[in-house]
Amino acid sequence: MGTGEARGGETRSVAAGWLGRSSLVLAVLTLHAVAFAVAWLLDATTWYAVFALASAAALGYVASDGPFGAAAAALGAVLLVAVGLPLATFVARQEPSVVAEKALDPEVHRMLYLTVYAPLLAALVTLVFGTPLAYLLSRGFAGDSLVQSLVDLPLVVPHSVAGLLILFGFGQGAAFEFLPVLGTVPGMVLALTFVSAPFAVNVVREGFDAVDRRLEYAARIHGASRWETFRRVDLPLVKRAMLTGGVMAWARSVSEFGAVAVVAYNVEFFYPVAGETVTGQHAPVFIFNTYTSGSLPESSAVGFILLTMSVAIFLLVRWVAGDTSVGVGS
Amino acid sequence: MSLHAEIRARFTAPGAEPFVVDAALDADAGETLVVLGPSGSGKTLLLEAVAGFHSCEGRVAVDGRDVSDLPPEARNFGFVFQDYALFPHMTVAENVRFGERYLDDGAEVDARSLLDSLGVADLADRYPPTLSGGERQRVALARSLAVAPDAFLLDEPLSALDAPTRAALRGDLADTLADRTAVYVTHDRTTARALADRVAVMHDGQVVQHGTPDDVFERPASPFVARFTGSNVVAFDAADAGRGSDPVAIRPEHVALVAPGRGDVEGVVERAVREDAAFRVTVALDGPVGAVADGSGRDGDALAADRTLDAFAVDPPAPGDRVGVALPEERLARFDE
Repeated sequence: MGTGEARGGETRSVAAGWLGRSSLVLAVLTLHAVAFAVAWLLDATTWYAVFALASAAALGYVASDGPFGAAAAALGAVLLVAVGLPLATFVARQEPSVVAEKALDPEVHRMLYLTVYAPLLAALVTLVFGTPLAYLLSRGFAGDSLVQSLVDLPLVVPHSVAGLLILFGFGQGAAFEFLPVLGTVPGMVLALTFVSAPFAVNVVREGFDAVDRRLEYAARIHGASRWETFRRVDLPLVKRAMLTGGVMAWARSVSEFGAVAVVAYNVEFFYPVAGETVTGQHAPVFIFNTYTSGSLPESSAVGFILLTMSVAIFLLVRWVAGDTSVGVGS
Repeated sequence: MSLHAEIRARFTAPGAEPFVVDAALDADAGETLVVLGPSGSGKTLLLEAVAGFHSCEGRVAVDGRDVSDLPPEARNFGFVFQDYALFPHMTVAENVRFGERYLDDGAEVDARSLLDSLGVADLADRYPPTLSGGERQRVALARSLAVAPDAFLLDEPLSALDAPTRAALRGDLADTLADRTAVYVTHDRTTARALADRVAVMHDGQVVQHGTPDDVFERPASPFVARFTGSNVVAFDAADAGRGSDPVAIRPEHVALVAPGRGDVEGVVERAVREDAAFRVTVALDGPVGAVADGSGRDGDALAADRTLDAFAVDPPAPGDRVGVALPEERLARFDE
């Protein structure tokens, strides 16, 4: 049909444009990699920062609106350099022998297992209980702004205080006495859930906001109950938001230090590789511990391993998310 | 099956005044009732309340069976939305079969046949975002037909379409809705006249006139209905013997342009705009015509009259020409007191 042909043509032109943009991005990245390597070898990384700002300004000038584009790109690049340069320097300064030693250390393996496993549980808990809450917040109810404030509260509470709140809520002498939290996986998961829930709930709520109410009406009038409408219409349409929210909650949990340090500095957990219960530490706590023990190279090597693993998982999730997208045109 | 609805509901939205809908609808079995009204008149809210999407007071009955307390899924209505409301994550065929699992008799939905009957069978495996507006609305219609509803509720299904597609789909809708009970909401009087067995005109949350298309279009009950259905509203000088000073309505197609001095009133041509086969000529009327004093204590709008008047002409006079305007007495519609 005509419409299909038109869309096919549009897709091809978009693909061609994307190929051009990809090539440009690859060329710029390569140029920056070479520039950084040269600056690093000359022990002059400051000059790389200057180069990065200048190249951003030049790209902004050419690609956008002349002086305005140059200024916007240069100012934006300041932030990127502030984040990217320490990261690049951190990676470049790693001692391969120390990294290899730490990569083979069983204690590090336990730490990595705990750092993936507990945040994963926290992300699942957040999604299971946060998704219905996000739905209700999206659809609105009396007092919803109050509830939304409570959801956002962990964003402004210092995380060490969040840890203390968990101790007041659970365990001996607390509201939920049957659930011991000090040095336990449930305690760690609770602490992680507390600090990561706002990220997931808000992203999923925005996902529900984007679902047109009339799709729900259409489902109801054609026979679906409220539950069936939620299951067959709402959930599939917020699948991507849930995945994004889950990844954000997981990533936030991986990096959490304050709340975990208070609730579960050392954690007892079942380690399937050893087939027994072991004691370990969450990565940020482990790295802090290693650092305060006096070894910057060792703590940074562990940090490098953690960073690599996190990026790999993030990319994997992004790839899976792209793969599970529904087959719609726009 | 017949559909009877009496709806009383108060709708609130942040930052807006509460809006009250208090209206009754009646559609006999096999009849298409068109609810005609301007944007903001409450016709969509009324239709959604009939469907059960909003809580309200009143009664909705199908063939005398009260369905007011039933949720939307148990009322057995079909609903066609202005913006289609197709499920974007399902194929066209899956959309059409959406309600299959909820059918009481366990019947299977033949999506291909339904799509074929609306000329879109080849789209079965496509996703809605890849379809044109007309295609989407045909699929939405097929989805509603699939659940064999007792009555169809249609919310401006043509308003988002371009003119040729609208005209084509209007024909398909006329075929589809023949012998089916339907309530069709629109602001488009052309569509209303084409599809309606009966028309209910809505204004400010209330039905202000209800009748056959001829009743409503030829004999509007108020100046509002007259203007909204496309009639002129004119008034004569009280001194004009025999006509009285109350405003009257007359449709543009019944107004004749004649030589100056030979009509009932006179005026100057303001513009002549081509509309399909004829020109719509707007005439600015002279003197006291249209100037009506309201001393009756009735709503001012009820007596207001226009100072211009539209007529259709095949060979129109030019703007600035003086013309006579003939208003046949038998075509004048007087408003209810």
